[in-house]
Amino acid sequence: MMKQRDVALLSSYLDGQLSSSDSARLEARLKSEPELVSVMDDLRIARGYIRQLPLRRAPRNFTLTRKMVGQNPPMPRAYPAFRFTTALATLLFFLTYGLNFLAPQFVSQPVYGMGGGGAGDVELYSAEAPAAAAPATEAPAQPEFAPAPTIVTTPSEDSTRITETPFAKNGEDAAGNALAQEVPEAPPQEPQNTPPIVPATWQYVLLGVAFLSAVFMTVMRRISIRRWK
Amino acid sequence: MNEQALIQDAQGGNLEAFNTLILHYQDSVFNTALRILGDDSLAADATQDAFISAFKSIKSYRGGSFKAWLMRTVTNVCYDELRRQKRRPTTPLEPDTDDGEEMDSPRWLADPAMTPDQQAEADELEHAIQHCLNNLPLDFKTVVVMADIQGMDYTEVAVAVKVPLGTIKSRLARARLRLRECLLGFEELLPSSFRLEVEDRA
Repeated sequence: MMKQRDVALLSSYLDGQLSSSDSARLEARLKSEPELVSVMDDLRIARGYIRQLPLRRAPRNFTLTRKMVGQNPPMPRAYPAFRFTTALATLLFFLTYGLNFLAPQFVSQPVYGMGGGGAGDVELYSAEAPAAAAPATEAPAQPEFAPAPTIVTTPSEDSTRITETPFAKNGEDAAGNALAQEVPEAPPQEPQNTPPIVPATWQYVLLGVAFLSAVFMTVMRRISIRRWK
Repeated sequence: MNEQALIQDAQGGNLEAFNTLILHYQDSVFNTALRILGDDSLAADATQDAFISAFKSIKSYRGGSFKAWLMRTVTNVCYDELRRQKRRPTTPLEPDTDDGEEMDSPRWLADPAMTPDQQAEADELEHAIQHCLNNLPLDFKTVVVMADIQGMDYTEVAVAVKVPLGTIKSRLARARLRLRECLLGFEELLPSSFRLEVEDRA
């Protein structure tokens, strides 16, 4: 049985890959060992036939297109800056637009203390204000319109007021009516005309910057693609 | 063709330079894929994929034999394809015998409608050798294709296959012996000179 190492030596010898000393040693062995010669012949025949395999021509050209390799045209160095500016300006514009839109809603909300009631309670007390304010005629410097709605009342005061209501109707109708005439009803709250958080000028500037950057970007891209082609 | 200059240009993204290299090497790459895969259309696909992959990773080329680098790329693509075939096996070309075993005789190659005289001798030989190549283990086949069909020297093959030189020598020798044994089964297809040599030795 031939050793694998000898087979490898013979194969390398056929290909001329052995050093001169190894070749000389192997040639000496070949003269005395006919089995080596037989194996070498086998190797030579096999190698000869494999090398006879015809080299086929490629069936087509395998050249690559830019699309195949996903190659994009080289853009100018300023291109990413314009792209960033466009994106940022657009984002800021929408942000400021949103802020200005939402700001009046936040400003018009009344501020309540802890446990403050809802808007319904305010209206309830406003309606009762003329009657409830009747004993308070002596109080100095009453504001022209009913002030009381924001008064924080305790439950005991509420009950007192409820018990007083019929009394006021019976005995102090005249005084109450007179006071009601003197004190005008609270005017309906008009929506406050709060100024926008971000001035409109800034929004126009942002919009303009976004638009101009986008235009520059498009022009750059088209020129680059045209040159690339 | 200044290969190094073209490679440098290609590394800079110049597709035209790389296409020039493709035109120079496409026959070699296609033949390597063809002998490893044993199928024309699969080989064409593998060649195309190999060139795309080579262009995308050409910056990883650090000098040395460009042909060996390309061969490694196409070999990897072929290995992927063979692995894919293993996962989704297809019907073999070789017919089964009555016992349900794969026919190992070269007679399956012969078209019963044609006599051997009608077939070109070169085609017969090519089929026979390809059949024997297909029967080799993949590692052996790759080394034989690169060394004997592509004519690469041992060092280039070692670079392409990423194994030591001694392993290349050993694989090549064993592959040649196996091919020799296999080709004996195709004796009637082999040219007369080969048959005479066999008879003389017998």
